[in-house]
Amino acid sequence: MLGKPSRTGRALQYLALAGYLIFLGFPLVWLLSTAFKPPRELVQLHPSLIPSNPTLQNFVQAFTEQELGRAAWNSLQVSLASAVLTVLVAMPASYALARFKSKLGTVALGWVLLSQLFPFVLLIIPIFLVLRQAGLANSHAGLVLIYVVWALPFALWMLQGFVRNIPRELEEAASVDGAGRLQVLRRVVFPLLAPGLVATALFSFISAWNEFFFALVLIKTPELQTLPVALARFVGIEGTARLGPLAAGSLLATLPSLIFFAFMQRRLSSGSLAGAVKG
Amino acid sequence: MLSTRFRRTLAAAAVAVVGIGALAACGDGGDDEATAGPVKLRFLSLAWQKESLQANKDLVAKWNSEHPDIQVEYVQGDWNSVHDQLLTSFEGGDAPDIVHYEASAIGEFSKQGYLADLKDLIPGDLKGQIDQGVWDTATFDGQVTGVPFLLESQVVIANKKLLDAAGVAVPPADGGWTWDEFQSNAQKLTKANQYGVAWALKSPTNRVLNLALNYDGKFFYDEGGRTEVKINDAEREVPKRIHDMIYTAKTASPEALAMSGADTLPGFFGGKYAMIPGSVSLRQQMVEQAPKDFEWVTLPPIKGLSSKQAANPQTLSISADSKHKEQAAQFLSYFLNPTNMAALAKGDWLVPTGKAANEELVKLTKGEQGWDVAADSAADLTVAPFQMADGYQEWKTKYATPALQQYFANKITLDQLASQLVDGGKQVLR
Amino acid sequence: MTTVQERPDVARGGRARSRDRTTIYLLLLPSLLPVLLLSVFPLLRGIYLGFTDARAGRNVEANFTGLDNYKELLTDELFWNSFKIGLLWAFGVTVLQFVLALGLALLLNQQLRFRGVARVLAVVPWAMPPVVVGILWKLVYHPDAGLLNEFFHRIGADGLRTNWLGDFSTALPAVIIVGVWAGMPQTTVVLLAGLQGVARELHEAAAVDGASTWHRFRHVTLPAIMPVVVAITSLDFIWNFNSFGLVYVLTAGGPGGKTMLPMLFAYEEAFRYGNYGYAAALGNVMVVIIVALLAVYLRRRLREAN
Repeated sequence: MLGKPSRTGRALQYLALAGYLIFLGFPLVWLLSTAFKPPRELVQLHPSLIPSNPTLQNFVQAFTEQELGRAAWNSLQVSLASAVLTVLVAMPASYALARFKSKLGTVALGWVLLSQLFPFVLLIIPIFLVLRQAGLANSHAGLVLIYVVWALPFALWMLQGFVRNIPRELEEAASVDGAGRLQVLRRVVFPLLAPGLVATALFSFISAWNEFFFALVLIKTPELQTLPVALARFVGIEGTARLGPLAAGSLLATLPSLIFFAFMQRRLSSGSLAGAVKG
Repeated sequence: MLSTRFRRTLAAAAVAVVGIGALAACGDGGDDEATAGPVKLRFLSLAWQKESLQANKDLVAKWNSEHPDIQVEYVQGDWNSVHDQLLTSFEGGDAPDIVHYEASAIGEFSKQGYLADLKDLIPGDLKGQIDQGVWDTATFDGQVTGVPFLLESQVVIANKKLLDAAGVAVPPADGGWTWDEFQSNAQKLTKANQYGVAWALKSPTNRVLNLALNYDGKFFYDEGGRTEVKINDAEREVPKRIHDMIYTAKTASPEALAMSGADTLPGFFGGKYAMIPGSVSLRQQMVEQAPKDFEWVTLPPIKGLSSKQAANPQTLSISADSKHKEQAAQFLSYFLNPTNMAALAKGDWLVPTGKAANEELVKLTKGEQGWDVAADSAADLTVAPFQMADGYQEWKTKYATPALQQYFANKITLDQLASQLVDGGKQVLR
Repeated sequence: MTTVQERPDVARGGRARSRDRTTIYLLLLPSLLPVLLLSVFPLLRGIYLGFTDARAGRNVEANFTGLDNYKELLTDELFWNSFKIGLLWAFGVTVLQFVLALGLALLLNQQLRFRGVARVLAVVPWAMPPVVVGILWKLVYHPDAGLLNEFFHRIGADGLRTNWLGDFSTALPAVIIVGVWAGMPQTTVVLLAGLQGVARELHEAAAVDGASTWHRFRHVTLPAIMPVVVAITSLDFIWNFNSFGLVYVLTAGGPGGKTMLPMLFAYEEAFRYGNYGYAAALGNVMVVIIVALLAVYLRRRLREAN
């Protein structure tokens, strides 16, 4: 996008990218290495990357002691529902917030920021009471509801930013062609919003997938428990942990988000957007 | 035009709203139990090591098969979040019936009225098994709100080969070293690239206040109904000795300051540290994680005027809101009978509070792997004044921990430490 | 409540405007309903608590105490100390996060090979379960067997080995780096998505005019993504100011209070000592100060953007 750089420029770009990826991605390598190490190799003065006696024991332990499979299935349902609902709910609202100047919109945006600012710990107990009153404690529905509300501030703030980025002229051109407002939304605005919607869906999915506290407090029935709660059980007193099974479980917990993103990231590329604008 | 557009918009909005409504409807919500059928008890347990997890689950399964009318549901919690989980569920009126936690933490909940008084619920034979000094750690304003069942005494774990090489003899289980002996042996064990000791001081307040009882250091004194912090010679003894080892004799590693007990293990296994003072439960990591040719030995607690330490036992409590307190107490007395308590202690590598359980455990393990030392240390554990002080948690986090960290980092003097601790006490103690 | 379109639409009259008003309510309704249910009540209750002496406890009544909490708070040195640390932390993390994420987003927006793989790897910190993240970074910073010290040892730079989390001068920078690491993917993904909105024609036009890469970035790309930048940096700032879980696992506020973040302070006040009223008052004061800071930032930025 910034023009064709020289060969040295390209080399520097690859170097910078490699630096970024080492910084951001090395934990995955560490997880992989730890997950296959037997207990005696986990406490070494000079840790090695490659296990000298690789073992599958950690995976066996992780899956036999905690019902990780079931927990992952629960998490997947909750996270997908949260992602879909967040996008459905935030899309029209963000359009309204960006395109109409109204007091209600200003208040809503301000509120959204405020709700993120106030110390979360003080909100937990009242939220818990509301959900219990509504009969939503101990159910996935309650969790989804909380996660959607939790993701909405981000979704609204981001999406209204994206809507503002869409040149108003495009919409006007479409309405001159005789399209109604909803048609304009569907044909012009939503395709252009696609990258923002991907970011929003991703945000909502991952925050639901990783959320720990509400899942811990709201869900009493072990069969309904989500993955982060199950994983936390490998951690003990004073920061000690059963590293092997924890790493094995965490490795498997990391993959769905990455796969989800791998599918979605193509939507982030300029190709689809350029097509949308022209077509 | 208008009406189509309007209807479509409305439809979209309605779908979303109904979606949320439907979500609301499918929550089950009702947690009122039917009056008929067996009594159901929820038991929040914090066991997390493989063996103790198994021991817990086995005991619950056995109880459930023998008592069809009182069914216990085993729920596994975790130590890092249990406090928040309990506080939220107590406030929300949704707490488990039986709660596993520790004496130092249940004090607050107890004063807030969330835990039942067990005095009249616990049978006499269980009462008699446990020392009064240990019962006192779970007694608040005259109410016994927890049954102490697992003790964590502070011992010293040493690298046997390094002891032998330096000509330091291993003391018998009932005859631990004095602080002077410990410090001079640490000297013998210190050489290039090797420290005699690694003091893991990530939570310095607990460590120092526990061991201060060695010299009768009480820290908290009752002054006409008001609690005050006082730092006399007795209180200074332990922090001063640790500080000396790090900065004067240089027999203790300054790098271990921010470590927790388990963090010292790579250095210990790698021969960088010859001895690590720490919990008896560290023996588990010795068995599981020490290199194959590594020889380790458990040394008895260090002695000052006595080898007394503050006890912070793990406890089992019953919620004040539980509808079935008597049944819960029945389960507790089964769960903690000598044989079962011994099994639980073995699984966690901790010391059982019950006398019979302790004897049984020594027989079971033949006193090997440090179980002789562990069993013997039980007699040293007792209640300390700080455990009963209102506002101790706040004093610890806001004043004591930062001050001790500064002292052990050699940034303030012992006198400055003392005055910070005393001033902090004036701020928060009631 | 008036609804006014930014651009007066001459063709449509008052009827159109009222139709717009109906539309906006209908568009907002689905998101406002759950927010109302689960955020307005708890939030109002939280704010109110700050004017009471509420404490944790079974059947404990809270009394309205007016400004008492705030009088106490003004002289609470420990809190103000921790507030300063909190600002340092939030600014440090947000600025580094933004600069690094912008660089990464620009790279990931290029036609580089392995771009897809790189994009996926870039979100690793976000995808990892938080419970393992704290443990991982403790192992990175471990003084004896940590990956960082081991790295310095292997390249023969033993002099650089430090007790990262235990040393009074390195503890805060060390946790700031963890904060940057943990929050970068979100910022990167958002900026990357924002870059897609920059119309290609603008770039091509500028390139034809012979503008340099930097010039085009400064005058074409940056203005175009400004609304997104403003939105994500202000959210990042708020999130960073509010987050304490990771730091709590790493240092628990130590050594000597050097990493005691204000939200951790408020958490302990509420959940450990049971002083809900005072903790809520801390929350109210922090909200007011942060809102004031954000207002200055947002007004300037939004004016620039328009």
